[in-house]
Amino acid sequence: MAEMLKIGLILMLVALVAAVALGFVNSRTAPIIAIQKELAKQSAMNSVAESLSPGDSLAFDSLSIAGLENPYASCDNTLSIVKISVPPDTTRIGYVFIAFGKGYSSTVQTMVAVELEGSISNTTILFQQETPGLGANIVNPSKLIEKFIGLTASECLLTKDGGGIDAMTGCTITSRTVTNSIRNGLEAMNETGLFSSGDTGENPSDDVLEPAAEGGTE
Amino acid sequence: MSLVKDFTKGIYRENPVFRLVLGMCPFLAVTTSVENALGMGAAATFVLICSNFLVSLFRNIIPSKVRIPCYIVIIATFVTLVDMVMNAYLPDLHRSLGIFIPLIVVNCIILGRAEGFANRNPVLNSIADAVGMGIGFTMAMVVLASFRELLGNGTWLNFNVLGSAYQNQPLLIAILAPGAFILLSFILGFFNILEKRKGGRQ
Repeated sequence: MAEMLKIGLILMLVALVAAVALGFVNSRTAPIIAIQKELAKQSAMNSVAESLSPGDSLAFDSLSIAGLENPYASCDNTLSIVKISVPPDTTRIGYVFIAFGKGYSSTVQTMVAVELEGSISNTTILFQQETPGLGANIVNPSKLIEKFIGLTASECLLTKDGGGIDAMTGCTITSRTVTNSIRNGLEAMNETGLFSSGDTGENPSDDVLEPAAEGGTE
Repeated sequence: MSLVKDFTKGIYRENPVFRLVLGMCPFLAVTTSVENALGMGAAATFVLICSNFLVSLFRNIIPSKVRIPCYIVIIATFVTLVDMVMNAYLPDLHRSLGIFIPLIVVNCIILGRAEGFANRNPVLNSIADAVGMGIGFTMAMVVLASFRELLGNGTWLNFNVLGSAYQNQPLLIAILAPGAFILLSFILGFFNILEKRKGGRQ
């Protein structure tokens, strides 16, 4: 009995030391990790949006849009759209959003820059934990995501699903996830009337949109 | 002398993958390219050294009846700490090695060495053992990854070896899961023949 108690106590002690160490390090590193994530997001935003207006420094403002349906509810994420402009001018030149999709072994996040008329200007993979050597190759733009440039919502479909984009060999699930998540985002934006029809070249009226909060500039 | 022996045995005589057949999960999962094999090898070696050090340090305190739960707690805690610290202070390294870190927890080489060596050997020998085993594990992964990357992608460490004509129609199965098993069985068979020959002569 006494020995059992001793063993139990030692085990508890080991677990306690481990828990304290983990809690302490977590409290120290969590805020830094959050900052790092935000920085990574900002730099990804800058790099995808650059294609809309090369060489200019850009301003980003988050938008809240009434009636916007969230296509990513199954991934516990919301569609948040960011307006891009070139300061000091506040006229919109495009949008950025993050597409979420459940891939083979992770929720793949793709950052997408969109032209005003609704075609994709550029994309980059923000987060993925797909199989190394297979699905993880999605981060290499030439494998898949650079094929999206210039496409509109209806053209974002894999060849296997009746569209015109060839999936990465051996990674249909990852390719399909990314393609469909981008299409869902674009369709949701399109339904709110965010995109101007290509030929008129007019901007959609600004009263659909309300600036939600001041996003970080640049 | 025994330090050197503890170090070298992991490389061939008790190679964790080819001789002990340990750590198959990460071994099969990440050997799709040489780059991944080196990344996983470096991360696993680091954790192996630290866990062998801690287990060996506390080997007289931890009662043998509850040693396995203690080792698991030590290893899991350590891996999580490494993950958090790396994520906060070395985000670039974390981005390239991040995927391997959760895999290290289930790497039975680490538990195997804690149980099989570190819990009854002095600290220095345990570290020598960990370094040797880590190098053996990394080398084994590089061997299989070389075959898989070369056949499945036409490259070695991202250098184009077999030409772009091959890359358009590679032997894709080598990179997929079945290819890992097929190639691994060939390599294990080769080492078994080698051992048999050696045994026959003695």
